[in-house]
Amino acid sequence: MNKEASVAMPAPRALLSRATRETLANYTYLLPAAICLGGTVLFPILKAIHMSLYHNVLSRPQDYRFIGLGNYLRMIHDPTFWLTLKNSFVWVICSVSIQFVLGFLGALFLNAEFKGRAFLRTLNLLPWIIPGVVVGLVWEYLYQPNYGPVNDILRRVGLLTVPIAWLSQPAFAMASVIFANIWRGIPFFSIMILAGLQAIPDEVYEAATVDGASVTQRFWHVTMPMLRPIIVVATATRIIWTFNYADLIFVMTSGGPANATQITSSYTLLTAYTDLDFGYAATLSVILLVIMLVFTAFYLKFTKGVESVSG
Amino acid sequence: MDDRSRFSRRQFLQTVAASGAVAASGLAGREVPFLSPTKASAASTVRFQFSVPEPLRISLVEGLVDRFNKSQSDVEVKVEFVPQAQARQQLITAITAGNPPDCCQMWDNWLGEFDGMGALEDLTSQIKGWKFYAGTAPTAWQTVSLKGKIVSFPLALTNDAIFIRTDRVKEYGLKMPTFDWTTDDFLTLAKGFTKPEKNQYGFGLRGGGTWAVLYATEFMYGSGAQVLKDGKVVINSPEAVSAFEWYINLILKAKVTPPSAPTDAYRQIVEGFGRGVTNMYLHNSGSIEEQKKFVGEPNFATVPIPVGPAKKRASFFFSETLTMFKGGKNKEGAWKFLTWMMDDEQHFKYCTTLGLLPTRQNLAEKPPYTEPSYAGFVKSIPFSIVSPYLAYPSWGGKLDSEGVPMFQQAFVGQITPKQCLDKFAEMLTKNMA
Repeated sequence: MNKEASVAMPAPRALLSRATRETLANYTYLLPAAICLGGTVLFPILKAIHMSLYHNVLSRPQDYRFIGLGNYLRMIHDPTFWLTLKNSFVWVICSVSIQFVLGFLGALFLNAEFKGRAFLRTLNLLPWIIPGVVVGLVWEYLYQPNYGPVNDILRRVGLLTVPIAWLSQPAFAMASVIFANIWRGIPFFSIMILAGLQAIPDEVYEAATVDGASVTQRFWHVTMPMLRPIIVVATATRIIWTFNYADLIFVMTSGGPANATQITSSYTLLTAYTDLDFGYAATLSVILLVIMLVFTAFYLKFTKGVESVSG
Repeated sequence: MDDRSRFSRRQFLQTVAASGAVAASGLAGREVPFLSPTKASAASTVRFQFSVPEPLRISLVEGLVDRFNKSQSDVEVKVEFVPQAQARQQLITAITAGNPPDCCQMWDNWLGEFDGMGALEDLTSQIKGWKFYAGTAPTAWQTVSLKGKIVSFPLALTNDAIFIRTDRVKEYGLKMPTFDWTTDDFLTLAKGFTKPEKNQYGFGLRGGGTWAVLYATEFMYGSGAQVLKDGKVVINSPEAVSAFEWYINLILKAKVTPPSAPTDAYRQIVEGFGRGVTNMYLHNSGSIEEQKKFVGEPNFATVPIPVGPAKKRASFFFSETLTMFKGGKNKEGAWKFLTWMMDDEQHFKYCTTLGLLPTRQNLAEKPPYTEPSYAGFVKSIPFSIVSPYLAYPSWGGKLDSEGVPMFQQAFVGQITPKQCLDKFAEMLTKNMA
């Protein structure tokens, strides 16, 4: 037996401490997700900011140059931008608020016990699962002034004598596309709120009933507070989606007549793909991002975010 | 088991990786789908982009390309169909990325923009030696010439004329217009045709898309207006404003247009007439074949645009072109295909199937161009001019993104005709580059 081999030798000292190694290992596990997020979220944002600082009209490659904040100054003086921003707020506020109220009522209805509930719950999802472009085409047909069913029904019941061009008159166009968008978005709220309603334990209602709470009191003091996290998330998500959602408008009116239904996101698309002005389109998209970030921050602050009810 | 014949996991993985690399290197140079049938290993491929505004064109072009491919042993055309709405954008991004098709079909109002990008092949010397050069109408060459160089073949010509429901002229006891009718005659006829209680209107005015601006401008030319004079934009001249006011009043005062006119685009004006909602509309000959199916050949005719107060009138010529790109990889094959497409038989078939005008006189004298449905277009040729909006490449996109909303504001009465044309002239002047 070799004696020397049995003498215990001190282990060589590790280059990094155990705690550091563990921290590094943990960060390594996060690396794939960080790379994916960076590549798909962060890089496009940084690229858009970079593009917004250049005069970048695709059809004029020889004019490509750095112009600093030139595109932002142009935006400030662009009356169409301000019009589209105003239209965007009208579009979002009207669409989401009415979708929420009707979706809430729908959820309460679908939460009740009745025969055929499963069928109605499935039917309720129909507007949401139809692609936006198809919804746009269907509603464009419904609103068609010369042979569309909406005018036809209104004429048959005597409410109209001359057809109304719903999508061609500035006074009606925005309301008409908002109506179509409301129809499409109700199922989103009803299904989200329905899920929230079903997650509220019956014991809470029973305890409230034992304590003498009326139906209205139970609604305001049990249902609403317990639904708050879902309502906050659903409305915030829907507001952001609607702000950026240009499919319906593109299909139904292309932003017309006379920009009456042009929202900032559809204006951004038009700038990019009709004028091929990617520099200015990037500027508009950066501003949209800033508006949405500010909105989300304020919204979560005012609604106290998605903290638990007891918190 | 003999170790020498055993396939270790490491060896297996190495073999798989090596075969993958070999296969990938073999595929790397291919520009066609791996599983598509190849004609012959010697045939060189020509990429041809074709933009599609209507499904009829797909079968027509597929048939022509198939015939070409069967007739050739050394060239094979691969056609890439792109919806019309995305065609211009797709070409620009392909050029920017350095991968344009070898050739494509496009409208002449895009040429300036692509030439500005330095993307178009100068075909002047080749075309001047082409067998049909002299027989092609000079106007057709004008639509595809930029700064003295010819950049495309004019595949088909279009100009505009008024479609009229002849059966309703009789039904309502109206007077069928002559070829030299006036704007007053036009208004009288439009009023006679308008029966709101029957959901029928006199004129399917186009308020949507670029042609909303072009059609209005054609009526303005009847008052002696012009877009450009001595290098300056003069589309806000008093004559233009007066004619535009008359045009807008078709919607606002005379109410001879359907309520949807301020946003009606190509599809709506063609279908509106086809469904019997409107009794006149202004369009190119491209919708003749469609109207033959919609309302029937004996029930409509075409007449030239009416003469305006200045005893003038204009119809704008446009052409569909066949164009080659500098960045194309098979120019020889592309030239072979394009000249084949421009041969009498193919050229005539293309134009007659789509209802467009051929660019050579000998073909324009044959039926169907002698039929009444084409009369308005043929009679308009003497006063047809190349669209003034082709003068500057930047105007192309701006007409759509800024011009159309301005005109729509005027159509719905939000701004006066003068305010509209002043803003429009300012926009054109700003984009004279």
